[in-house]
Amino acid sequence: MKLSLFNGALVGLLLLASSPLLAGEGTGNSRPPLDRREHLGRSGWSRIIPTHLKVQYAGSMGLISVGCGWDYGRKCRWETDLLAGYVPKFEGSKGHATLTLKQNYIPWALYASDHFSFEPFYTGIYLNTILGDEFWTRQPDRYPSGYYWFSTRMRIHAFVGCRASWHPRKGSRIKGVTLFFEINSCDLYIVRKVGNHYLNASDLVGFSLGLKCQIF
Amino acid sequence: MRRARLIFRRCVPLLLALSQGCEYFEYHPYDTYIEGPTGLTAAHTARIEERLKEKREFRFAVISDTQGHYDETEEVVAALNARSDLDFVIHCGDLTDFGLRKEFEFQRDILSGLNVPFVALIGNHDCLATGEVVYGKVFGAENFAFTAGNTRFICLNTNAMEYDYATPIPDFSFLDRELEMLPEGVVRVVYAMHVRPGEFQFNNNVATLFQHYLKRAPGTPFCLYGHEHTLRQDDLFGDGVIYYQCPDIAKRCYLLFTITENGYQYEAVAF
Repeated sequence: MKLSLFNGALVGLLLLASSPLLAGEGTGNSRPPLDRREHLGRSGWSRIIPTHLKVQYAGSMGLISVGCGWDYGRKCRWETDLLAGYVPKFEGSKGHATLTLKQNYIPWALYASDHFSFEPFYTGIYLNTILGDEFWTRQPDRYPSGYYWFSTRMRIHAFVGCRASWHPRKGSRIKGVTLFFEINSCDLYIVRKVGNHYLNASDLVGFSLGLKCQIF
Repeated sequence: MRRARLIFRRCVPLLLALSQGCEYFEYHPYDTYIEGPTGLTAAHTARIEERLKEKREFRFAVISDTQGHYDETEEVVAALNARSDLDFVIHCGDLTDFGLRKEFEFQRDILSGLNVPFVALIGNHDCLATGEVVYGKVFGAENFAFTAGNTRFICLNTNAMEYDYATPIPDFSFLDRELEMLPEGVVRVVYAMHVRPGEFQFNNNVATLFQHYLKRAPGTPFCLYGHEHTLRQDDLFGDGVIYYQCPDIAKRCYLLFTITENGYQYEAVAF
């Protein structure tokens, strides 16, 4: 059950990733381009204003994370997000806040109509820090140098995902709502896999779901 | 604000329920939301006590420092299961490298494949970040004791450097309680710990006092520890109490102890 769910998700993701190859051919002159992403009328200081808000469930950055971000570059292929998350206290422990700096690269968008688009594959990395006295970035001074070489506070995650968007009519306050799904793993999990046949890749990845609300 | 809090309170159980359906939704590598069995120490010590009630002779194996070596841990479980003469297994600590929840869960799942009950002590790596909390949930108290036949096993957290002196490590009040209330019929006490006295992780200000405490037991033939990843046996204090160090699992070696009516036998077994 555990493995089949993972495989299903992986096959789905691969299918989605391959879809632009199937869909890209034979467009006539009258049809708009498949990838219509762009930003108009944003220049100077107004670029500082975040272009979107995000809320993300799980993803090893908290039960729930919220934040804002900026898209930029040709066809808005790049997105940088700042998220604040919360890891709740479970029985007999305390809760923790986390902060995440997330960088996304979204190579393709496919517009099914004026109102629906699909980004079959995107990828990126995020840096997560968890707040609390029991975590450290570098080992405390009392240890001999190199005793614990890793940081318990900072994690680097890599992810792949896909997302689907709905774009309301022109003139609407909200420019788009996007649902996304991601699969991620972190530095220590990848280190853990080295030299261990016992662990499967599926043991060391996590899923997450999220919503993006485009405001500019 | 109140409404937001209310919504948040209602959403959290909903999201938790969602994650229970799918273990892939991870909140953080250091979260403390345990998948699968918890409270192993209590369950397994009860099995050991039941199994060895009234017995004067029994045999147990010692393994240690299995962190990050899942294949070798699986192999030692297979090797120990191939024996029919074992009564229980003691793991001398360091189940994890980073104190990650998943590391505890992987080790718990592999060691649970043992045919005999086992106990696992807390190692210095197991104390990192939220590791101590996860250890507490998956296994139980950091200081614990159980009776095997006529022998009391006292298992201690000796990873003093992980605690900044705020927590008493080793916990002498626990030792006091244990030694004052030894169950009837106990003729000797075997101590197990992750770090030996003298190693810098130990609180060496109290090393001789610690030894003095240990010897308050009716008989203290030997102590067990791990941490330094080598096979060693020393009369650390020159008083006849032998300290046996169990090597890490990558050395493919476990210790085998046979407690007999008048003493014990010791053997290091390669697998």
